[in-house]
Parts: sequence; structure tokens; C-alpha cells
Amino acid sequence: MLSVVLKISARNVWRQKKRSFLLAGAIAFSMFVITIVNGLTGGVVDNIRVNFSHALGGHVFISGSEYRDQGIVYLIADEQALLDSLAHYETSIESITRRSQAMPSLIFGSRQAMQLVYGVDFSEEDKLLSSLVVTQGSLERVTDEQTIILPRTVAERLGVEAGETVLMRLDTITGQRNVGEVIVAALIEDQERYGISAAYVNRSYLNSLLGLRPEEYQALNLFLTNMDDADEVGRGFREALGVPQPATLADIKEMDEEEAVRELFGMARVEEIEPWEGIKYQVTTINQIMEPVEAAVNVLRTIGLAIFIILLVITAVGITNTFRMILIERTKEIGTMRAFGMQQGMVRNIFLMEALLLSGGGALVGLVLYGVVSLVLGQISWDTMPAMQFFLDQGRITFDATAREVVLNTCLILAMSLLAANFPAKAAAKLSPVKAMSSNL
Amino acid sequence: MRKLMSVLIVVLILGCSAAPVLAKDLSIIEEVLKKVDEQSYFPDTDVTALMSMIIEDPEEGLEKIVVRYFRRDDGERFLLLIEEPQTQKGQGYLLEGDNLWFYDPSSRKFMHTSLKESFQGTDARNADFSQLTYSSSYKVVDYDEGKLGNFPVYIVDLEAVDDRVPYPYAKLWITKEGNLVLRTQEFSLNKRLMRSGLFPSYARVGNGVLPTQMIFIDELVEGKKTQITLTEISTAKLPDNVFTRAFLERASR
Repeated sequence: MLSVVLKISARNVWRQKKRSFLLAGAIAFSMFVITIVNGLTGGVVDNIRVNFSHALGGHVFISGSEYRDQGIVYLIADEQALLDSLAHYETSIESITRRSQAMPSLIFGSRQAMQLVYGVDFSEEDKLLSSLVVTQGSLERVTDEQTIILPRTVAERLGVEAGETVLMRLDTITGQRNVGEVIVAALIEDQERYGISAAYVNRSYLNSLLGLRPEEYQALNLFLTNMDDADEVGRGFREALGVPQPATLADIKEMDEEEAVRELFGMARVEEIEPWEGIKYQVTTINQIMEPVEAAVNVLRTIGLAIFIILLVITAVGITNTFRMILIERTKEIGTMRAFGMQQGMVRNIFLMEALLLSGGGALVGLVLYGVVSLVLGQISWDTMPAMQFFLDQGRITFDATAREVVLNTCLILAMSLLAANFPAKAAAKLSPVKAMSSNL
Repeated sequence: MRKLMSVLIVVLILGCSAAPVLAKDLSIIEEVLKKVDEQSYFPDTDVTALMSMIIEDPEEGLEKIVVRYFRRDDGERFLLLIEEPQTQKGQGYLLEGDNLWFYDPSSRKFMHTSLKESFQGTDARNADFSQLTYSSSYKVVDYDEGKLGNFPVYIVDLEAVDDRVPYPYAKLWITKEGNLVLRTQEFSLNKRLMRSGLFPSYARVGNGVLPTQMIFIDELVEGKKTQITLTEISTAKLPDNVFTRAFLERASR
């Protein structure tokens, strides 16, 4: 019986090619729009996550601080608990980077700018170097002791160019003033608006200015073999190192702004700091850092979904009208079929199947269109647009629409089409064979 | 034999030329430093003054900050209350022994800060408004005698005894008469000159002295300096509640 319904429905769809093409085209367009939005946002989130992890030097970040008479000193030691945790997650860890960091005042002539500076061991930071988008100078000599990689915006503020020397005024870990002198090796594109604006210098040199030994470090960062394990590994390290689990965006909805920032980023008000013994660790994962970015992307997704639903409603109105016209056109035909013994249910099913064929075909065409467009756009290199590099994978747009999103959107289209065709289908089924056959239409 | 004699003569000459250096009695300068510190300490009197700071920044231009200054060394306390500019009016610093608090009336919160920090982004440090501690924070490495303008001075090289002071090395020009610090140079951990200070005029306060003009020059940023002038200096007794957080909150309104 189903095959008969399918055969008649397919024939009906094919009979009015132009109309079917227009209806399926509208559905294809809706499907294409929502899938491209999903794919683009998914790809952007993935790329930002990867680029963030390269810029920050890992997927899980462990830092430590000691309370001394002079104040809080940021430093990590190879304590047993930390070493045990590293051994426990050995198979999940792809590589480890060790960094120092400071917030010096960079000075060039009469200009100065405060800037976060990471001290990195460039020999173990190949991922960082490959992710940097150089706008001036080169990364060839970054392993030289006194060189700095500077964000372009900071260089512009200072009026400095690659090859020139800037001063770094900072405090040692015990609060004494110190000055360094570094040559700008390269200017890079940074993403200040997303909270990452870092300069990079040789770790041993930064350590010498901070009053640390060359091999010492302030943050231990882990690159995992699978980035999706970041939360689990982070949780494990927190438990092993006695670090409280952090609050999430959902947990802080009820808090005031200040309290929320403290909870999210583990910052305590200075007046509330109580002295402590030994090293107090802090463990952060890439997902925590990405939460605000993903929240922004989710807004995009929601807007995309709203547009999709509006398009679907417009299409549904079109489907209803079209099927009402079909009903009028085929009144005599329906009467004849009913006179030959076709049941009401079958008449209704033929209408609904037509709607399903149209929407299913349209959705399929929309997906094929998405595949073609994403393939073409993915081949284009956007190297000439440095500001976009943080959203791209090696200068190329990537699309990542998940199977769940595609299935959900397809189901929505099919359900909406069935709903739209339901009223004319019911009306067709209820037609009296005698009246239908005697109709002048 | 002639060779031996030549060696002996050379040794003798070198020894004689090194003698003055070896003979330098650093304890004299240590005493001078103690006197410098002592006369910057006013245990028996309160001090009130109006401080005008002119900040010359090649990027930001000229800026003026006016601060009401209350000080009581008995108990190591001072209160700095900003009166100008309007945007910073009501902000204040309160030193209570080892604790230095910064108060911002816009957030109505006290935040812990340090004497090592710079004052409101100027070239002055919070410690510049407190008593001097050269004799306890630094050891004398070397000294020389010379003249600064018309004043015979000791030129003293200092090295910090621990990391509690922000500048690990310093050089002072101290008048032989009166033990007044006329000029300072402060150096980073890697011995680079970071800040110079000039103290051309002093006022007598009780048994001590208070610089009434201070010029701090940022030696790293070309053209950046801060000039501080103290006027309306008074030694009248202040009520005890002046050096409290409640007073700072009230005065900031």
C-alpha cells in the first residue's frame, strides 16, 4: 500500500515540475541557511579553541603561588602530588609546556604600555609558533636570548617596529624593580577583544628579570591527545592538588558581577587573602576560558535558528496554499479515485507523502548545497585578512555542522511540512466522491 | 736582585694607592644614614600639609594632583586624601603600621596596597611620604666626597640588605652639614638607573626635617617626571580618628 501511495505522490510531484521546484527550492534554501550557520559557528568555535590553546600553551593550565613575607609569589615546584598526577594522566598528555609570565611596562622612547608577557621555551612551543600570524619581522631568530614577539596593536601604541629595542620594566617575584632590554623580532596579530593579547619572550631571559632560575617556571600547561578530555583531566588535577572545582557560567547567574568574576576566575579580593603554607595551585581548562566565547557564539546560533524558523513558517504558509490549490485542481481526480474504492486515509496519505517528498528533497538539496559551498569556501585562503586569523584554521574557513544539528533541522523541516499539508490533506480526504465528480473544476 | 726590587716597588706603589680606599671608614656614613633616617621621623608631632603634584608625561601632557597629607609617625600612620582632580577626588591612602589601604569612593571599597607601589601612576612611590629607612634597609657599599652645587656632600653607594625595598641599589648625595639628602639615584636589580630624585628645599618640623619640594625623574621614559611641592605645613595635633578607615570614608563623601 505504501508503495502505491509513494508512486502516486511521486507522480503528482513530478506532474507540476515548476511548482514543486519552487517549493522544494524554498525548503532547500532554509536548510542551507541553517546548516551553513551551524557549520560556520561550529568551525569558528573549534578554530578559536585550537588557536587559544596554542596561544596559551595548552589545554589544561596549572599555576601555583606561595605566600611569603613579601607577598604572594607565583611559582610552581615539582611537588610529589603534581608529579603523581602527571604520571597518572601520562597517556592523555601529548606534550607539556612550561611558562613564566609578567605584566611589565614596555617602554619605547617616551611611550609606554602595560602588556602581558609570556616567557616561553621556544624549542618546546612549536604549536605556538605555527599559530602566530606575523605581520612584520620574522620568527627565525626568536630563540635568541633577548628578543620579543609583540602584538601589532601594542607595537603601534609604542610606535616601535621589528628590529628596534624596547625596555621592559617589571617587578621581580619578590617585588623589586628590574629592567630588561629586548629586540622586537616580530609583530603578530593578536585578539585583544577576546582577552588574548600576549607578547612572548625567551623564558630564561624573563626568569632572569623576575629573579627566577632559568629552569624555573610559573605555569605548567598540558596539551592533551584529545582536547575533549580537558574537563576530566582538569578535574583530576584539581582533586589531586586540593584545588576546589570552579563555578560555571550557569552557577553564577544569581551572583552579583564582582562575586561572579571571583568565582569564575578564582580571584579573591586582596583584603580577603589569608596566608597559607606551601604552594597553592590553580587549575584552569581551555573550556573554562572558552565559556564566554561559546556563549557569544551561542547567541549567533540562536539568531540562526530564529531565522530558520521564520523561513520555515513562510515556507509552511506556501505549502498550505499550494496544497489547497492542488486540492481544488484535483477535486475531480480525487472523486474518481474515491469512486473506484480508494479510502479516505489513502487520499490523505498521498497528500502528506507529497509534502514529505517535497520537504525531504528540498532538505537534501540544501545539504548538498551546503557541502558544495563549504568545500569551495574551505579552499580559499584568507591570509590577507590578519584580523580574521584567530577564527580560521591555517588561514582557511572550516565548517563543522554536527550530525545532531543536521538531523534536528531535517526533522523540523519534515514536521513543519507535514503540519502545513495536514489541513488540505484532511479536506481532500473528506471530499464526497459524488460531489467531487460532479464538480466543474 | 734588580727584578725583585722592581716588583717590590710596584707592590708598594699599588698598596699606597689602594690605601685610601681600604681605609675608608664606612661607619661614618652609616652614622650619617642613621641621622638622615632619624630626622625624617617625627615621633612627637603630627604633620599636616597640602601636596601639589605636577606630573609631566610626554604622552598624557601635564596633570595636577592635589593631596591633603596627614602624618603621625608614632604608630607609623599617614593619610593621603586626594582633592584634585575631580575624577579622583575622595580617593585616599591610609597607612596603619604595616598595612597600606587604598580607598576608592566610587566602589566604596578598601584595597590593600604596598609602600613599594607608585602613587597614582606618578613617579613618586607611596613610601616617599613615609619616614626614611635607609640605615635599616640598605648597607653602605662605598662612598665618596664631593660637591653638589655649593654644598659639600657625601656621595654614598647603597645596596639593599633584603628584598623589602623596591630598588636594590641606590646612590645618595647627603650634605655634610645637616645630613640632608639632596639627590638620589635608584637602580634596578641589574643595576640600571631607573629613578632620580631631587630634594632642593626642606622645612624644619620639630627636631626633624621634611622636604618641601621633591622632583622624581623617570629615567626610562624620556621626559617623564613628577614635581611635588608641600605647602600649608602644620604641626598642630590631629584628632586620633583622622588615621582611621571611618574618617577616610567620611572625608571622601
